[in-house]
Amino acid sequence: MIRDRLRDVSGQIIAVAVALLLGAIIILLVGESPVRVLMTLLRGAFGDQEKIAGTLLQTTPILICGIAACIGLRGGMFNVGIEGQLFLGGFAAAWVGFAFPLPPGIHMLAALALAVAAGAAWVAIPAYFRARYNTNEVVSTILSNYVAVLLTSYFTIFLFKRPGGWSETPPILATAYLPEIFAFSRLNWGLAIGLVLALGAALIFRYTSWGYGVTMVGSAPKFAEYGGVNVKRQGFVVLLLSGAVGGLAGGVETLGVHHRFMEGFAPGFGFDGLIAALLANGSPVATIFTALFFGALRSGSLLLEVDTSASREIITVIQALIILSVSAQVLVRRRGDSQAGERRWKF
Amino acid sequence: MVSNAGSPTLHMKAEMAVALTGITKRFGAFVANDGIDLAVRRGEIHAIIGENGAGKTTLMNILFGLLQPDEGSIRLNGEETVVTGPAVAIKAGLGMVHQHFKLVPSLSVADNVFLGMEIRRHGLIDHAAQIARTRELSKRFGLQVDPTERVGLLSVGIEQRIEILKVLVRGARTIILDEPTAVLTPQESRELFQTLRSFVAEGMTVIFISHHLEEVMEVSDTVTVLRNGKKVATRPTAELSKDELVRMMVGREVSFDRRPRAPSRGEVVLQVEELWARDDRRLPALRNVSFTVRSGEVVGIAGVAGNGQTELAEVLSGLRPASHGIARLKGRNLAALSPREIRRAGLAHVPGDRMVRGVDRNASIAANMLMGRQHRAPWSSCGVLNWTVISQNASRLIKDFDIRAQGPGDAVKRLSGGNIQKVVLAREFTNDADFLLIDQPTRGVDIGAQEAIHDEIMRQRAAGRAILLISVQLDELAALADRILVMFNGRIMGEVAGDGADEDRIGMMMAGVAAPELAAEPA
Repeated sequence: MIRDRLRDVSGQIIAVAVALLLGAIIILLVGESPVRVLMTLLRGAFGDQEKIAGTLLQTTPILICGIAACIGLRGGMFNVGIEGQLFLGGFAAAWVGFAFPLPPGIHMLAALALAVAAGAAWVAIPAYFRARYNTNEVVSTILSNYVAVLLTSYFTIFLFKRPGGWSETPPILATAYLPEIFAFSRLNWGLAIGLVLALGAALIFRYTSWGYGVTMVGSAPKFAEYGGVNVKRQGFVVLLLSGAVGGLAGGVETLGVHHRFMEGFAPGFGFDGLIAALLANGSPVATIFTALFFGALRSGSLLLEVDTSASREIITVIQALIILSVSAQVLVRRRGDSQAGERRWKF
Repeated sequence: MVSNAGSPTLHMKAEMAVALTGITKRFGAFVANDGIDLAVRRGEIHAIIGENGAGKTTLMNILFGLLQPDEGSIRLNGEETVVTGPAVAIKAGLGMVHQHFKLVPSLSVADNVFLGMEIRRHGLIDHAAQIARTRELSKRFGLQVDPTERVGLLSVGIEQRIEILKVLVRGARTIILDEPTAVLTPQESRELFQTLRSFVAEGMTVIFISHHLEEVMEVSDTVTVLRNGKKVATRPTAELSKDELVRMMVGREVSFDRRPRAPSRGEVVLQVEELWARDDRRLPALRNVSFTVRSGEVVGIAGVAGNGQTELAEVLSGLRPASHGIARLKGRNLAALSPREIRRAGLAHVPGDRMVRGVDRNASIAANMLMGRQHRAPWSSCGVLNWTVISQNASRLIKDFDIRAQGPGDAVKRLSGGNIQKVVLAREFTNDADFLLIDQPTRGVDIGAQEAIHDEIMRQRAAGRAILLISVQLDELAALADRILVMFNGRIMGEVAGDGADEDRIGMMMAGVAAPELAAEPA
């Protein structure tokens, strides 16, 4: 069992290593030293306590989105719409934050609750079509992203624009803020929410009858059906939960960092979360570390353009390489398994 | 006349469209083809018959270059050929019509037929010529299609004609059809047979894979029977009776001891009345099936695989809806219950496709043994699993059922086929269910484990369970069942007593001869 796990992990490590190696070659090709880029990245991500806090700040939404993805993957559902759920959740939280004066604490919880509801409601459409007509949720959730992002743009620009300002809503009231942890950083308790979610999800999947059923639907759907698990309903519920957590990620980002909703406020966190979850092979606990990895890449890259001649986009390139090598590895493994007739994730 | 062991003369070789010698193909430990010799004369319809999993499709895929044999050689038109891929086979005049069609639904019939080898004029596709050529071929061989129609709008039967046309325009002289009638209505099947005869009339050769006896008897000149990856025999069809064919297909060697059975008839546990159901292709798979199973008896379902047994098991376990009729488990209508409720009402199910339905190969033994009871004490309370109990329970079952594994944490995929089946049996037999639905309990299981599994089934019978035992192995049914129902083409052809079962009678019914006709015949 331990050897199995080691072999699984070794696959992920090889995937990342291959991506980093290719990244290093590309850095060489643009005439920069890979070692210097790496050192700058590390310094930018972990150089001092403020930089570490900055990394954790970037990690938080990736982690929560990653948990959203993990929940889907566990039940065999590929929620690629987390980005859209994040945007709608972010807007919903901001709306409660600036439009409804409520007592402190309650205000924050109400805003987060609406963010959760918005995320779940948004994924309910693809989830319904999946359960009812067996439409591929990958396609429908991807497409729903564009609608969600543009919908929130419409809200901010035409309905709730702050007079005279950028494309953003009025600021939320202080009663709805997620409190910051340290005085020197915007890092807030959203990180704790992410960690609790990760551990909670891991425990639920491992130690509840429901989680067992979901896991079986994800890994052997026909077996689960045979054993009396309602595969369709479970898929629907899992997508809904995944969307709810995606919405929560948006709420946390709004209430903890920006304190308003801005057009294009959190680009790519949903997709980064999905990749983090894939790299973690669907394990919520492992997602904590992969999310930290992607958070560090993001925050480290801020220093990259200051200190080296490499562009920040090199980080995007490396991320893309990781996606490629991870999915190649996932596909190879699935192919080996598919001889038994079962595919775990549908690409 | 018929292929035999003697060394063929040069003249005879040239007469052979296809000659396979000693073909062996292994997938891991599983031997799909085991030293198969096959000789197909030019200008004959040669049927290859055998049960599902007998190795028919594997053999044809090797012939067509889709698989490479581990051993053996292939001669096409008398010439030794290494068929490295379909391109080589097509060049040698072979064509294959697969079970699953590969057509482009948005294109017209003619465009599909010529896909990849379009007729060109000034560098553009000459649609008129393609349509004319398609029409000519379809007329010549009685393959009625409209070349201009869009494929997406057509029925499966017509799609198959298009696949045949595709093979013809590629110059095939030997045509392989893999289970061509599986998707056809009886009327379409008859038309297909006409077409096959017109091929032979033009000197072409047809290799025809099937597991349906009747059509093999009707259309073929020569039959080769495969069983468990080995060739049983090649014989002229005219010399064979259906009964002999069945015997060759399912085998006869009685390797099991008959268990002593005291008659015991308890109350009715399962009652099936006039049950109809459709298969995945929406064709009728169960036709008016009625029977009962009482507590303390084993009712066997015999039949060549693919005659509705799978669908029957799926309907009884709630995995497939019945289109008509009623099945009651202890008086409760199964149609009104979900699979989970049926289990709670008293079903335990050992599924036929155990690797897909019976286990999650990647999960541990303990997690596999939990399925179906994860909501019940002592395995869980208030929705929280108790892994200590689950693990202890799994350890006990591993011991009780003599499963060869290191422990409950072992992944199921590490176990042998027989031990995986024991994991399924251990889980299902300890559910305190009144009705056991057991589908192919010993398929792919070694002899030692077979004995143990049979003992366990008889113990369950003694404990008063009602057992429905579906098996393609006659000897297994004769060893265990109190009564045997014989299925053919979705119907129950008749019933025989398990004790001293008349195997000839069963064989005839498996071939589709109804019980009353048998009774009328002198013995």
